[in-house]
Amino acid sequence: MGQIEFHGVTKRFDSGFEALKDITAEFAEGSMTFLTGHSGAGKSTFLKLLLCLDRVTRGQILVNGINVTQLKAKRLAYYRRNVGTVFQDHHLLAHRNIFDNVALPLRVNGMREREVGRRVRAALSRVGLLPKERLLPQFLSTGEQQRVGIARAVVTRPKILLADEPTGNLDPELSKNIMELFRQFNEVGTTVLVASHDRALIESMGAPIVELAQGRIVAGHRGG
Amino acid sequence: MSWWQDHLRIAAETMRFVSASLGTSFLVWLLVGIALALPSGLLLLQLNLAEMTSAWDGRPGLSVYFEVGAEESSVRAVGQQLEAHPHIERVEITTAAEALANFQAHSGLADALELLDENPLPASLRAVLKAGASMPDLDAAGASVVDAEAVADLVIEKTWMQRVLDASQVVNRLGIILGLLFGVGAVLVTATSVRLAIESRLDELRVLKLVGATAGQMRRPFLYFGAFYGFGGGLVAAMLISLCLVLIENPLANLLGSYGRDLETAGFDPIFLVGLLCVGGLLGVIGALLAAKQRLVRLEVL
Repeated sequence: MGQIEFHGVTKRFDSGFEALKDITAEFAEGSMTFLTGHSGAGKSTFLKLLLCLDRVTRGQILVNGINVTQLKAKRLAYYRRNVGTVFQDHHLLAHRNIFDNVALPLRVNGMREREVGRRVRAALSRVGLLPKERLLPQFLSTGEQQRVGIARAVVTRPKILLADEPTGNLDPELSKNIMELFRQFNEVGTTVLVASHDRALIESMGAPIVELAQGRIVAGHRGG
Repeated sequence: MSWWQDHLRIAAETMRFVSASLGTSFLVWLLVGIALALPSGLLLLQLNLAEMTSAWDGRPGLSVYFEVGAEESSVRAVGQQLEAHPHIERVEITTAAEALANFQAHSGLADALELLDENPLPASLRAVLKAGASMPDLDAAGASVVDAEAVADLVIEKTWMQRVLDASQVVNRLGIILGLLFGVGAVLVTATSVRLAIESRLDELRVLKLVGATAGQMRRPFLYFGAFYGFGGGLVAAMLISLCLVLIENPLANLLGSYGRDLETAGFDPIFLVGLLCVGGLLGVIGALLAAKQRLVRLEVL
């Protein structure tokens, strides 16, 4: 049994467009997998449904055996606390400094400030940004902002880490560095699922690849 | 669990936000304050009218006029009957002779009255109602003697104080109606302001939802907004009422002085002020809850 399982998942929008069509896939605990495909292939929808940011039209998504598509609002919030997310647009809060941006998920979890400080500094140290913890995001480069986003995603030590085009705005070298960070988190047991259209980059990582096209899995799925 | 730390941090952040947009915050406080000041002012007025009517010796009563030449024993019998009535406090009898003496003393017609063969004035009595007794009680007391021997006329006096009491009832009802209307107004003003605060922080709310914040956690900062706006409004209302009291102090002191009474404002005390702040805060929180419930439920994360 996989940690993440999609069973016949279809997503149809109100316009009638089907972003995902009868997807069945599973990803083992501690695995690292890349989702790839052209723009509009359904990669982002795949991740959004896994985060329950949108509703499935048909099918089930199981995470650790729980059908997350049926969760009520409060349990859904608790579920999201166990899933780290990184996006191309890193969604950093412009009026909060780096420390406070990374601390946000811990404070949502109700952690004590002393522990928040310890964990935030550990995460920032991991992505090499500890000296810049008091700066506002606008004073960081795009690559650094993305690393802050990654620090925020992993600061709660989530079981699952999802990334949607995390290197979309970065040059090849920075992109490679970011992917290496994901690999490091995977090596300590985190299940990592990265959506990227950069075929060359993800092939260089040597991890399983699932290719989507027009809402269907067309190649590569081996069940994690 | 750092529940208190979280609340303190959010309260401090809210204060910083309110201070940073002081102009807007002041306008909201002013609007909420005006909405609270009018019904609160009416409440104060009603309290003072009630205080005035209970403190002043101007209670209603009844006057009985006897037939000219009525026996004094008949007059005293009616007086005793009224004194025995449970709602009558005291009875003052003016005999025909006393009435004539008073008239002679005050009218300047003493010489003319000396020429009359008999006293043309009737005996009379005045009964004063006990404190707390009602107008129906006074009617009942009057009915008990209206048919007595030698009684010519009976006048039930509804004093001006009774009219003040009636006016205070009107003020009371008006206060309730205006309180409800302006309370709704205060809620709507706060809801609109909180809605604007929500719109200005949508990015943060999206991230909060993404990292697993519950609906309660997302609402919390805005409830503090509502509370701050409401408390601020309560404070402004208290200041407006104080200002009004200062402005009417002199003319009111003159008016009350003409009735032999000192100016003492009842009700405008610390309990009233704390109540005003609490009501303001509560209305603010209700407004914030409405705005947050309406907006956050439709929040799209990505």
